[in-house]
Order: sequence, then C-alpha cells, then structure tokens
Amino acid sequence: MASVFPGRTPIIRGVSAPSAHDVCVIGGGVTGAGIARDLSLRGLSVLLLEKGDWGGGTSGASSWMIHGGPRYLEFDWETTRLSTQDAGHIVTIARNLVYRVVFIIPVLPHDRNNIERMETAMEVYDRFQPLKKAHPHRRLTADEARQAEPGLSPDVIGAVTMEEWGVDPHRLVYANVEDAVAHGARALNHTKVIDLIRDGGKVIGVRYRASDRSISEARARVVVNATGPWSPEVSGMAGVPVRLRPAKGIHIVYPHRISNFSISAESIDGRDLLMVSHAGFTLLGTTDDDFYGDLDSVDVLEDEVDYLLQAFERVFPSIREYRPARTTAGVRPTLYKWRRYEDELSREYEVIDHAAQGVEGFVTIAGGKLSMYRKMAEETSDAVCRKLGHQSRSTTATTPLPGNESDMESPSELARRCGIPALAAIKLQSRHGCRAEKVLDDARGGRLVCRCEPITEAELAYAARSEQVRSLADAFRRVSLTAGPCAGAACVMRAGEVIGGELGWSASQRFDSVREFVRGSWLGRAPVLGSAGWAQEELAQGAMRGLELNGAR
Amino acid sequence: MGRADSLAKLAWAYGIHLTRRRLTRPRTQLEDLLHTYAPDGIRALEPAERERHPHLVRCINCGLCALAAGRMGKTRLPDIASSYMRLYARLGEASTDIDGGEPDFEAAASACPVGVPLGEVAEIVRRMTAG
Repeated sequence: MASVFPGRTPIIRGVSAPSAHDVCVIGGGVTGAGIARDLSLRGLSVLLLEKGDWGGGTSGASSWMIHGGPRYLEFDWETTRLSTQDAGHIVTIARNLVYRVVFIIPVLPHDRNNIERMETAMEVYDRFQPLKKAHPHRRLTADEARQAEPGLSPDVIGAVTMEEWGVDPHRLVYANVEDAVAHGARALNHTKVIDLIRDGGKVIGVRYRASDRSISEARARVVVNATGPWSPEVSGMAGVPVRLRPAKGIHIVYPHRISNFSISAESIDGRDLLMVSHAGFTLLGTTDDDFYGDLDSVDVLEDEVDYLLQAFERVFPSIREYRPARTTAGVRPTLYKWRRYEDELSREYEVIDHAAQGVEGFVTIAGGKLSMYRKMAEETSDAVCRKLGHQSRSTTATTPLPGNESDMESPSELARRCGIPALAAIKLQSRHGCRAEKVLDDARGGRLVCRCEPITEAELAYAARSEQVRSLADAFRRVSLTAGPCAGAACVMRAGEVIGGELGWSASQRFDSVREFVRGSWLGRAPVLGSAGWAQEELAQGAMRGLELNGAR
Repeated sequence: MGRADSLAKLAWAYGIHLTRRRLTRPRTQLEDLLHTYAPDGIRALEPAERERHPHLVRCINCGLCALAAGRMGKTRLPDIASSYMRLYARLGEASTDIDGGEPDFEAAASACPVGVPLGEVAEIVRRMTAG
C-alpha cells in the first residue's frame, strides 16, 4: 500500500499549522533515528522529534561499541547471537564509523573466573564472531600479555583476547537521521513532545514545542515511543504504563589512547569493567546502578569515579597517572525485572503495541542496546507497517548509510587536494566517509578551528548549515569539537564565532553560547579533576577571562 | 529457563575445553595476535615507552611551545603532542604532515607548563607515522 501522505516534506522550523504523517517517532536516539530511517526507506512519511540533540541521551553515553556481548552468554545465547548478527550488518553499512577494538582480558589470582573459564567463554563467543566479521580470541601467557601491554600488573597470571567494534554513536545516530531525511522524513531536534493528541482510545498525533518555544501539532496514523529511559513518561501521556528498571552508567574519558589494546578489569564487587581504546581517546567504565533520579540531570559522583579507578589500578597500576578530561553519564532503559542485581539484567528489548491495553495507534520500543539498534528499529517498523497495512520489507541491513556509498579515497590524497593536514582528512573521512570532500566545499577551506581533533572551520560551518547543529554542545556531538586534550580552552571562542556566523547569532548570543557550553562542560569535568586537571582548568579560565564563569567554580 | 539452559551449555563447553587442554600442547599466540591486528595499527608499546607514556600525553595544547619553537614540517608543535600523540591507529597515513623541519625541542619543552618531553614525543610520532 502506498503512503497516504505521499508528499515529501522538507525540514521546516517553527511550523505552527498541523502537519500530517504516516508515523511520528518520538526520540532521536539511535533506535528512534533507526526507526525513522527504516520507515522512510519503506516509503512512509515520517516525523522524527527529539527534545535535545540527536544521540544526546543514552546513545551518546554508551561505551561506543558495537559488541556482541559475551556477558550475555551466561543469561541468553540468543541475545548474543542476535546482537552479533546485527553488529555485522552495522559494520557493513557504516564502514567509515567503525574500527576494531581488541581487548586483553587479564586474569589475576582470586578473580571470579579463572583462565580456563575465561577461555571457554571466548571459545563459545568465537562461534558468533564471524557474524560481525571479527577474529577469534587468542590466549596469552602472563609474559605474553605483558609484552602486548607492558602496563599490565605483574600479578597477571594469563589473559585471553576478544575483538569488538568501536563506533561513534553520535555520528551513527546522525547518519540514520540524515538518511531518513534524504528519503523524505522530517526531523526536528530541540523539539519536545509535550502531549499526545488522542481521539477516544486512539493516539492520533503529538503536540510539540520547538526550540523557539512555538507550539505545533502533527497528526500521525501511528506514534512510536522510542525515548529509551523516558519511555514511561511518554507512555504516561497516553495513559498506559511501560515498566523499566533504569540503570545509571558512567564513564571516565581520557583524551588520548592509554593503550592500543582495550583492557578489562574485575571490580571490587566482581563486575566486569572495560577500558576501551577508541580512535583517539579512552573510555573507562562502566557502572550499573538502579537509578531513581531526574533523567534530565544525571550527575557523576566522585565515589563512582573511584570505584572505576580502584578496579583498573589492580590490573593497570599506572592508571591514576593519566589525566582524565571529563566524564559521561547515562541511563539504560533496561526492561523491568524484580529480584535481580543490576548486572544480571539482560539487554533484551520489547516492541509493545498498546492496542492490547486499549490505546490504538501507539507503539513503544523498550529495552535493548546500541549494538542491536538496527534490528530493534526493523522489528518496530514491522509492527508499525502491520498496523498500517503497509506491505514493505526493511532494507536497512544492506543499504549503506550516508558516506558509505562508495570506497573512500586515500586521506593523503584528499588532504593534498583540499589543503588540509592528512590527520584532519582521516578524521573528516571517519565522520563523513566518501562525502568528506563535499564538506570542505566552503570558502574557509581547510583552516583549523579545533587543533586537537583536528576539525576545519569548513566542517564546523557545514555542521551548522546542514547537520542541525544549534549549539556548541551539538557541535561536540556532531564533529567532536572540544573532545581533545585542551577540552575547548583553545577553540571554543572561535567555534562560537563560526557557528554563530552560520546561524546569524548576534555578538552577545555568541558570547552566551560559549558561556553556556563551558558551564555545561564543567559538570562533566569536575568529578575527575586531579592536580593536573586543576592546573589545566586554571589555564582555561585565564584563556576565557571575561566569560564570568563563577557559577562553574 | 533461558539462564539455566545457557549455564548448562557453558558447563558442557567448559568440559570440552578442559579435555582439549589436556590433550593438546599449548603454543604461543602472541605473534598471531600482533600480526592479525597490525593492519589496524594496533601494536604493542615498548616497556620504556609505556613507562614514560603518562608524561608523553600530558599536552593541553596551550600553544606556548609554538612560541618557542614553531613547526615540525607543516604541523604546529603543540599539535604534535595534543593531536598526533593520541596513538591514532591510522597515523601511518599522516606522514606528510610532519615531513621535514627540526624545531628546537629543548626550547619548546622548557616552555611547556605541564612538562611534556616534546623531543621524545616527536620521535614517537615520527615512528608511528612511518608505519
């Protein structure tokens, strides 16, 4: 069946007249963006709404991995199989966004699992690894493990290795949004759904507030709730319950690779923690604690930081000599289960058609994890299409995401032609794939704005002009602005000028945007400032004098 | 049920694993590991490099070393320490950025407020970009 709303609607901001769509997807995390893409590729008209920025919630606070989850082998092999299989699809359609992450899993005396148990788990996991184009594990003696990573504790008695894929979740989310828009979807960030429009027992649309505070309505034949941990709040608008057991997870972020290998460690309470080596930085995490607080204000506690460092100090004694740049915190939308420790909860997901509860036209996707986002989106889209009587199959497993339509040229060639450093070309390609050159099609050319990453002014301007960047925090997510060692001290003012120039900000708006960003960043930096961090903070304060940052001190 | 089933299958796999370990002679797998991941730029650090590593990655890109010593090839000196010295796995593709130029690393290092040994950093970055 063809769409009943065949006309394609361009992105329009501040619309006040009701618009009409086949489907409205609430939530611009990876699942919501994936659903919008899936349904758009099937020919349906889609409206995607996100109250913050794309991937600004749980997706962005993840461990940045597309992994199969060997941990789930203890609970449910099917979750591991499905997750691994879908990881294989994601790796194929998003080649520019993924890279190999190789773990050394050291075993120490008195660890919960001895080396034979660990290797058994890896042998089983190896059966699934080909599904995601990963290599099998290796077993290392204590000496070999320390040759591979000399920073490991002398107490290590052996190790096994395991391969996963790293990914930039912010770009993965945006690539899905971009492709959805390219196929006719309308996608609005910084747009909050404030109510569901109901007609008797049926949800027929949404009422939302845009970033300019204007209120609009949109009609839709089906509304999808893909808001992760906010799902109970949104389903409450329809008068139906969705039960989750939200779990908070934090990471410590180091602005460089600590090791080329990622390393796992056992925490004081026997949990498995990970130090993950990404392209140019390291994530150390994560915690997993029941969360009962405000989902819009998730703070990192110094105790949580110490909990993580304590665990890693045992396997990697020099960890406290490294200077963290910041922390991240997010809340997992884990499905509800009573009488289980947080760590024992599966990452299963559930597509809920609320018609069974007497509310037609309303579907919730709950639970799950980043690695399975595409499959979650496909199953949710299948449910939506069944409701609409729309006969069409998902093609997201094989259709490349934007930037993967063809092979990338060598970065040195791109760098030579565009007059940018080769390292900047590598980073540009990692975000835009084969479309990288298009981004540099700007009079500013290759002048660098953020030297740590590095990012060109042209790319930042492109992000503001074409990728819905509306603030410096959005630019952090879209192009990794300020993600490097200087944490923005050297670039944030200039970045405000570039973005403000594109968006028509006044001088005071540019100033305010920088101040707002620095204050927001402070919340993530404060829990990890050691002496070196404080010294850097002093320097940054000096560099940004005039910003009146007293509130951040 | 799912969990009981999973644990039973793991227990069976454990039995098979122990039997195999008794019947076969272990062989070293380190070379295999390093060879497998060399194309991805995942390599082992030298012990000496590891010991010095926390100092090598301290740069906060304040720019003072650039005032003292300028550029290495086409690249500003602080960028060598803040941008290139992040153990990018793909640094081998960026050798053209630092070809040529031999700045005064001693002067640069003495200007550094956080004590980055810029000469050492430059040496490592050169090695990484050489592939």
